Amino acid sequence: MGDLTLTDMERLGAFDEAERTFQMTEETFRVFYELTARQLRVYLSRTTGDDRQADDLLQETYYKFLRSNATFASEDHRKHYLFRIATNLVRDHQRRPRVEVAASPATQAGVASPTDAHSAERTATRIDLDRAMAHLKPRERSLLWLAYAQGWSHEEIATALGVKTASLKAMLFRARHRLALILKNPGGRS
Amino acid sequence: MNSLQCMHEDRVVSAVLSGTWPSEDDALTTHATHCRICSEVVAVAVVLRADHEVARGEAQVPVAGQVWWRSAVRARLESSQAATRPMTWLHGVTAAITIGIMLAVVGFAWPTIVGGAGWLRDVVLPLMATGEISGVVAGVVRHSVFLAAGAAACLVIAPVLLYFVLAND
Repeated sequence: MGDLTLTDMERLGAFDEAERTFQMTEETFRVFYELTARQLRVYLSRTTGDDRQADDLLQETYYKFLRSNATFASEDHRKHYLFRIATNLVRDHQRRPRVEVAASPATQAGVASPTDAHSAERTATRIDLDRAMAHLKPRERSLLWLAYAQGWSHEEIATALGVKTASLKAMLFRARHRLALILKNPGGRS
Repeated sequence: MNSLQCMHEDRVVSAVLSGTWPSEDDALTTHATHCRICSEVVAVAVVLRADHEVARGEAQVPVAGQVWWRSAVRARLESSQAATRPMTWLHGVTAAITIGIMLAVVGFAWPTIVGGAGWLRDVVLPLMATGEISGVVAGVVRHSVFLAAGAAACLVIAPVLLYFVLAND
């Protein structure tokens, strides 16, 4: 059988059907999206190290989230669930063979035209961080980002990553130690 | 304090995340310079937090409506694909049953086919050699059951062949 495509009428029908298929209404989704999209986009960008991949995974994450039948006790629970989907998608993506590791466009732009001393320093820090993060495992990147960039508690991180809170402290300690060593000595390996 | 965590770690993290590091609490700042765990926390958290602030401001995300629309279209497409999946299975099962029936028919007719081949060898060929065509025709009419079986096989095979030929359209 050939691939299915939708007619314009079917696309319009899809819009109405979405309200029944998805776990929330469009208006509720819009509010939730406004709260989480930027955070999630940055998280995906830093954990994958690739802005284009982050864009694809952003759409994929929200799609899987909308299709899920999960129920949520609170807005935080909803957000943690979203990040858990994103983390799983990143992990699945990392398992696939990679043809090319593209440099982040934001980094490339920053390298091309640092307008002043402050932005040049910021760009240099960003490049150092990108390189250092590239030496870490995806789960370590997720842990560190959620803990020290987004400021989540251990319990929140454990929920989002699907690990036990008890083992999280040790994992966080090892990841932090590795990143600190790499940042201190950018040329070497931990 | 244990080997993995310092009792002041949470306060250090809070100060960095709230943008008040170095802390106004000199004792905490001094502790962080001497404590191996807290100094690592500061080294990592300051860089990650600063990067987060900048990246969050620069991040470009599609509008919510666009993400919703794409998800809706994709959901509809996947539903359509899911709906056609049983039909594909049904076609496959039909093809398998048809092939099975054909093989059964051939199995039942096999003695007749063997007999017909023997008749060709023993009766028709000698007749053709001696030029008695009318005898050959009479024999063929008597054994027209072979023709009927062949025609029936064609009728069964034709839809199956058509299915496989048109399957990719």
